[in-house]
Amino acid sequence: MFKKLFGSKQAKAETIIAPLQGRLVSIEEVPDPTFSEKMLGEGVAIIPEMGKVVSPVNGEVIQLFPTKHAIGIHSEKGLEILIHIGLETVAMKGEGFISHVKVGDKVKAGDLLIEFSLELVKERAAHTITPVVITNSEKIKKLDVESQSPVTIGNSPIMKVELKD
Amino acid sequence: MIEKKVVVNLEHGLHARPATQFVKLASSFKSEITIEKEGKTAAAKSIMGVMALAVAKGTEILLKANGPDENEAVEALGRFLSEYSES
Repeated sequence: MFKKLFGSKQAKAETIIAPLQGRLVSIEEVPDPTFSEKMLGEGVAIIPEMGKVVSPVNGEVIQLFPTKHAIGIHSEKGLEILIHIGLETVAMKGEGFISHVKVGDKVKAGDLLIEFSLELVKERAAHTITPVVITNSEKIKKLDVESQSPVTIGNSPIMKVELKD
Repeated sequence: MIEKKVVVNLEHGLHARPATQFVKLASSFKSEITIEKEGKTAAAKSIMGVMALAVAKGTEILLKANGPDENEAVEALGRFLSEYSES
């Protein structure tokens, strides 16, 4: 679906805010090549202090893995953002994860998406580090990654994106 | 156009790691490729699309490819889904 804005030659920009509370790190620091080598796309990662995930943008939930450890949001401006809670968390088979949304739900930045047990992830998964990745990186004209850390959930900007027309 | 039904044997289904490899493999072919599960279709070259299908182990999916290398594409992707094992 396309929304054409009449006469607008301004670049489309999107500010992505922190979906979790914790320490902001570069995606290259994620101990998993799937993320650190940007195979999924550009992004950042957060080492969470709290088991809560909120929406980083206004948009729609387009993907929610049955094990609830990975969620995808399509932003109003056209970015596809994947939040992958922890590493090797798929093996937890959903235990310790509660989803507050379903695919198709419209969300606003800051809306609660998922709650999870940080302790259980620490115990059972490989790592708590949570990559936040733009999976349609081909839409990015310019990406600025914030460096201010720690980040406040639903508040601190983590990435600023200028989209291609 | 070529179609192939495949039963997914990936231990945890098409989650981030194998989905990324699947998309990378699909993107290496010139053909247009789709993956279909229970009537829902996703472009095999779109990571979000593939993950959104939430394909679990044991699910039967339909691979469709259209293009100059459609046979090789369907063969390679089918093998990936049914034989790949994560160590």
